Amino acid sequence: MMALDTLTGAVVMVVSSVIMGIGAYGVASSRSLFRQVLSIEVIFNGLLLLVLSLLSFNAIAATYFGILIISSVAAEIIVVVAIIVAYLRSTGSLSSDELEEERA
Amino acid sequence: MHMYTMLPFFTIALGVASIAAAYYVVKIKDLVYASVMLDVLASIIASMLALIGYGIVAAFQVLIYVGAAVMFIIITISMIGARGKETKEPFLGFITGTFLSIAIIIIVMGGGLFKLYARPGYVSPSQAAAGLLSHYFPVIVLIIIAQAATIVEAISISKRGEKK
Repeated sequence: MMALDTLTGAVVMVVSSVIMGIGAYGVASSRSLFRQVLSIEVIFNGLLLLVLSLLSFNAIAATYFGILIISSVAAEIIVVVAIIVAYLRSTGSLSSDELEEERA
Repeated sequence: MHMYTMLPFFTIALGVASIAAAYYVVKIKDLVYASVMLDVLASIIASMLALIGYGIVAAFQVLIYVGAAVMFIIITISMIGARGKETKEPFLGFITGTFLSIAIIIIVMGGGLFKLYARPGYVSPSQAAAGLLSHYFPVIVLIIIAQAATIVEAISISKRGEKK
């Protein structure tokens, strides 16, 4: 039974690592602000899976951490999307390259 | 065959589905469909969490993240019509993603962290609620205040941007 748990743990952790890698690919490869936000959310999903499987020795604490993490990320999404909408209304562009040019 | 012995197979199947959904989030050109795939990915992650024993977290993921946060992204992108030409640097992305994945896999496998996994015990909703209200009550109050402040902040930021 223990080997089964170990196998499940290994599968969950490898899957979460690959998901985080795909999210990092999206952040680094795209220049669209919305695509980068979506990719960061992919990283978050992988991270949630990894953190909860690492905390599985204390189920109650892991449950609390999971709830707190999801609440924080939901709030973060709203602010980030609001900032992007404000930037789009101000400049008419969604490219992060133009963001760097404006800052320069 | 007992359901418990099938656990790794279900986990592998859901893992493959979640990797495919994550790939489509990054690769689909239309941002609305990419957001929908993010919704699918979050739902699959929620089912994986439920499968490995975190039923309450999975319910939270579906209710708050899938049902509210990602739907907010989908509606926003649909309303502002963010469909423009998108420049890409696939080589840089490939290097970054591969490096991150391999680094985490080396840490997890090399450090034997996957051996930490043991099927977590069942946490009932009443047990979780009692613990949250007794041990984490100040944290809950802070989260409620932060969520309210976030809504006000988001509305004010969105109203601030005016096209020149």
